[in-house]
Amino acid sequence: MAKDKGKGWSPGLAGLLSPVTFWLGLFFLAPLLLIVAYSFGTAGVYGGMKLGFNTNNYAQIADPLYLKILFRTLVIAVLTTLLCLVLGYPLAYFIAFRSRKWRNNLILLVMIPFWSSLIIRVYAWVVILSGNGIANHALQFLGITNGPVNLIFTPKAVLMGMVYSYLPFMVLPLYASLESFDVSLKEASQDLGANRWHTFWRVTFPLSMPGVIAGSILVFIPAAGEFVVPQLLGGAKTTMMGNLIQQQFLDARNWAFGSALSMILAVVLLVAIIFYVRRVGTDKLEVG
Amino acid sequence: MREERTKERPLASPGNERRAVVELAGITKRFGDFTAVEDLNLNIYEGEFFSLLGPSGCGKTTTLRMIAGFEEPTEGTITIAGQTVQGMPPYHRPVNTVFQSYAVFPHLNVFDNVAFGLRRAGVKGEELRRRVTEACDMVQLSGLEKRKPAKLSGGQQQRVALARALVNRPKVLLLDEPLGALDRKLREGMQIELKNLQETVGITFIYVTHDQEEALTMSDRIAVMNEGRVQQVADPATLYELPRSRFVADFIGLMNMLSGTVESVSGRQVTLRAAGGKRVEAIIHEDAGMRPGAEVHVAVRPEKMRFGDEGDNVYAARVRQVIYMGVSTQYMVELEGGEKMMLYQQNASGVAGYRAGDRISVAWDAANSLVLES
Repeated sequence: MAKDKGKGWSPGLAGLLSPVTFWLGLFFLAPLLLIVAYSFGTAGVYGGMKLGFNTNNYAQIADPLYLKILFRTLVIAVLTTLLCLVLGYPLAYFIAFRSRKWRNNLILLVMIPFWSSLIIRVYAWVVILSGNGIANHALQFLGITNGPVNLIFTPKAVLMGMVYSYLPFMVLPLYASLESFDVSLKEASQDLGANRWHTFWRVTFPLSMPGVIAGSILVFIPAAGEFVVPQLLGGAKTTMMGNLIQQQFLDARNWAFGSALSMILAVVLLVAIIFYVRRVGTDKLEVG
Repeated sequence: MREERTKERPLASPGNERRAVVELAGITKRFGDFTAVEDLNLNIYEGEFFSLLGPSGCGKTTTLRMIAGFEEPTEGTITIAGQTVQGMPPYHRPVNTVFQSYAVFPHLNVFDNVAFGLRRAGVKGEELRRRVTEACDMVQLSGLEKRKPAKLSGGQQQRVALARALVNRPKVLLLDEPLGALDRKLREGMQIELKNLQETVGITFIYVTHDQEEALTMSDRIAVMNEGRVQQVADPATLYELPRSRFVADFIGLMNMLSGTVESVSGRQVTLRAAGGKRVEAIIHEDAGMRPGAEVHVAVRPEKMRFGDEGDNVYAARVRQVIYMGVSTQYMVELEGGEKMMLYQQNASGVAGYRAGDRISVAWDAANSLVLES
């Protein structure tokens, strides 16, 4: 009976869901529709907006300059996701298999960066990486370099800043899926002749796939839309889609093109995520 | 005659020399200050259904985990099939385990679960398919090979765990309370099935349980453990009829206990003086030395007692409580000295019942009252 109830709609359920429906409708769906409408509009001479059906905004993206930025954005976002996974997995694994007391304290350490603003933390990296910064001093002190080297305003600096910023978003879902992992499954695997390596790749890793997928999406999407890190650590050479959209809205006052860029980015990300989940996900998500 | 019956039974394969397949010598396991297992010495023979029986925390599961390789003993050596396994990881030991929680891999279907160990051992293609199918047939899982564990019942998952272990043809199969999570009816069916399976495949089973009935039903031999120590190792009948200690007597089945002082000893025959001056005729273990004056306990099984005045020990008593249990009726009677005793009477035709308050006399034979040291 309870099962039947869960499947159907009832006035009570609709009532419970109405606040969130209202909220999402007002603050998610409405702005999204606005952006869709703007993306077909035309920018006025003084920055105003004329609605209409103007596909030029989309055609403009075919410009190699913009395609290059889109491509760079995707490469940086994918690399950020991969690096976060490679760095975050061992960390999440290590924490998840500690005793309860250790686990809670360690995961708290992972979350500590959230206590200060992202901009402040990225500025800290500017201080560290700049020509006269701590990193260069350390390199010279250790005798690795003779003079200051250019660390900041490179794609590598952006990547590093992104991995730094998004690592917790990878670690937390991975931790959540590993923490609930039944240790007796590892023992069963070893009991059946699989050494640690095989046990990890045949049992532990496949069973942590929900965490891998959730973490990848949580890192990839905001990384692809990131504009603070490339702005502060990338300089002019490492412009990403986020910077481009920001410039169109705030500097160029071309809301129509900015909206079109936003739509393109959203569609590309959606396609990428669907492809990813189809490819890695579906059969492995079906665990419970 | 009883002594004849309770002697250790020969094993299923007569004529064969009994070869120890698992030898535990002087095994002690400590976790910090806590001693889980203390000075354990056991030989488990080829083809045997051996149970480790005891209350929770007695060290039985720790013992099993040491054989499987999940724990290393603090002291002592374990030998499996003639090979010392000290420091050997679980994946190199010739044993397989059926876990209490089943630990069936949720991301693999039944076939891949059962094939897991074979694939690690390099079995491929047609042989892999054949052996997995055979193992599935053996535990009646045929037709479910493509199912994911989430779509199986508890009993079916249990069978997957069993097939997954047996398919590797281990020297020893370790079972950690595998039936604990099943309901009673299913459990009783599985007990018989497991026993039959063990006789068919001829693999040594080491079975951990806290359920004495389960151990008695299935085992060739049982080691009763308490607080990290083995109390007694014997076949089920010996364990039931001739317990070595009060703990074993209490743990296996129901037991009436009287306390008294030894008056005279003649061979295995002992005469005691119990509370209220009652004389009790009883027997002692063959090898038990007993002196007059010793304070001891006398253990009598409820089903060995009867109403009436025929027997070596006859006492006046009063019925205190009557519990009807279908096949039999359980009576709680109080002897004149105030001792309370339990008595079973079969509900056969023509047997008169009693009611609470009835004055009756109860009797039992000396051969059925075993003296245990305090």
